[in-house]
Amino acid sequence: MKIDCSGLACPEPVLQTKKALESLPNDSILEVIVDNIASRENVVRFAQNGGLETRVESLSDGKTLVSIIKGFACQIVTNSKDDAFLDKTLFLKSHTVGEGELGEKLVVGFLKSALELPKIPKRLICVNTAVYLTSAEEDSPIMEVLKALEAKGVEIYSCGICLEFYGRMDQLKVGKIGNAYGTLEMLFGGEGTISL
Amino acid sequence: MNNEAKLTKYVKAAGCAAKLGPGDLTEAIGGLNCTHEKVLVGMDESDDASVYYLDEERALVQTVDIITPVVDDPFVYGQIAAANSLSDVFAMGGEVATAMNIVGFDGCHQPRSVLKEILAGGQSKVNECGGVIIGGHTIEAPEMTYGMSVTGFVHPQKIYRNNTPRVGDVLILTKPLGMGVLTTSIKADMLEDSVVEKVASILATLNHKASRIMQKYDVSACTDITGFGLLGHAYEMSFHRVSIGFWMSKIPILEEARAMADMGIIPAGAYNNKAYVNMYVDAKVPHKDEILLYDAQTSGGLLIAVSQKDAPKLLQELLDEGLSYSAIIAEVFEKEEKPLFYM
Repeated sequence: MKIDCSGLACPEPVLQTKKALESLPNDSILEVIVDNIASRENVVRFAQNGGLETRVESLSDGKTLVSIIKGFACQIVTNSKDDAFLDKTLFLKSHTVGEGELGEKLVVGFLKSALELPKIPKRLICVNTAVYLTSAEEDSPIMEVLKALEAKGVEIYSCGICLEFYGRMDQLKVGKIGNAYGTLEMLFGGEGTISL
Repeated sequence: MNNEAKLTKYVKAAGCAAKLGPGDLTEAIGGLNCTHEKVLVGMDESDDASVYYLDEERALVQTVDIITPVVDDPFVYGQIAAANSLSDVFAMGGEVATAMNIVGFDGCHQPRSVLKEILAGGQSKVNECGGVIIGGHTIEAPEMTYGMSVTGFVHPQKIYRNNTPRVGDVLILTKPLGMGVLTTSIKADMLEDSVVEKVASILATLNHKASRIMQKYDVSACTDITGFGLLGHAYEMSFHRVSIGFWMSKIPILEEARAMADMGIIPAGAYNNKAYVNMYVDAKVPHKDEILLYDAQTSGGLLIAVSQKDAPKLLQELLDEGLSYSAIIAEVFEKEEKPLFYM
């Protein structure tokens, strides 16, 4: 099936693509012709958001042909997001692992290594002095690691009472503030908890 | 909301999403010579409003803005268009005195009663900030447009410019992003009524309160986020003298806007802004929602550069006064390779 969305402004190309895709059976190809960057980007975005394969070709008349494969195509579309996570919660009670200066380095090292793992824990909960980590200086090594974890989709929670106790409420730079109830629910609800 | 008039269905683009791109605009007005000894802030500075010196106590602040409908309810559209027009005066630190309506009325699709409601909505917002509507002009037009020419006053020594932030300041944004995406979604009938109402109430919120509050603190620059998106306006703020680093996770973006953007409901204005500003952004860390930072905002919030010492107090007062999306989103640094970057 082929639809021509030339000359149409957002949101029309996406709406027409959506309608056409819905009318098609699985394992068929929809070709959408667009004539501007916004329409091209939006149609591709829409298809990819639905987990569909797309191919983009420039046509000789300056327009663009977006081909969308409805169905499994040659690749099996998996929900890669869930696969990346262990159903585990990492529970940090201190800003160090063990005592002293080495302990501070170990936290950074441990979390940095966790980043490299094929599967990473789903959640990170910081209580007591562990909230120092989530409220550390902006360019500190620990902040870099935590932000990278967050960018990968790890949910990071810091204990609100602890932040308040240490006067660092306004310095939280990564993740969200968690409450006692939510924390307990996560600790008991997940498959497992790892404590450092 | 009264959506019977379906205002957004008869226009090509919604609100500021219909704005001409910054590149096009610079080229068009670049050749005009508009300098004068009494003009304190003029066109060559790409600030929010112009300022004209009257005497030691007063300067005139003038601005004009029109938008196409962003919601289907005429009264609410009037309110939003007014909030959008008035905002430039507040961004300069001024108070509104008078306003004149400017209407392009689509008489082919709408009865006269719709016009009455639009104007009533506009008036309600002008009155809210202590101003008065003293006239206006209406023409028949193929697409509905409404806005105002606004006149206000500011103390000539207390003008808040958009390009004078100091190194070490942080930036506070007072409204969430995503309004261009959401108003386009409204036009496509893709949002539930409750979401439309939430979006409309954010759009109709005046920047008056935020402006008054910021004047109590150590603020070095201010602008309002409108058609050029957060990064477009931040780029103007950097003025190639400083660099601005953004804490991506701190930038308030409406959840519904993220969902709509993922579905590809992104108006062309966002891509135009990106094409123009992208080269000034050091985006080492790619970000999923980056396009929303370029999203053209209708009646967006103020972007305020404030000293780090005063920032928490200013933020707290904004939050206490009901501007609940306010957040510290960026810091101003010595000039680096690019004017804008992500942290």
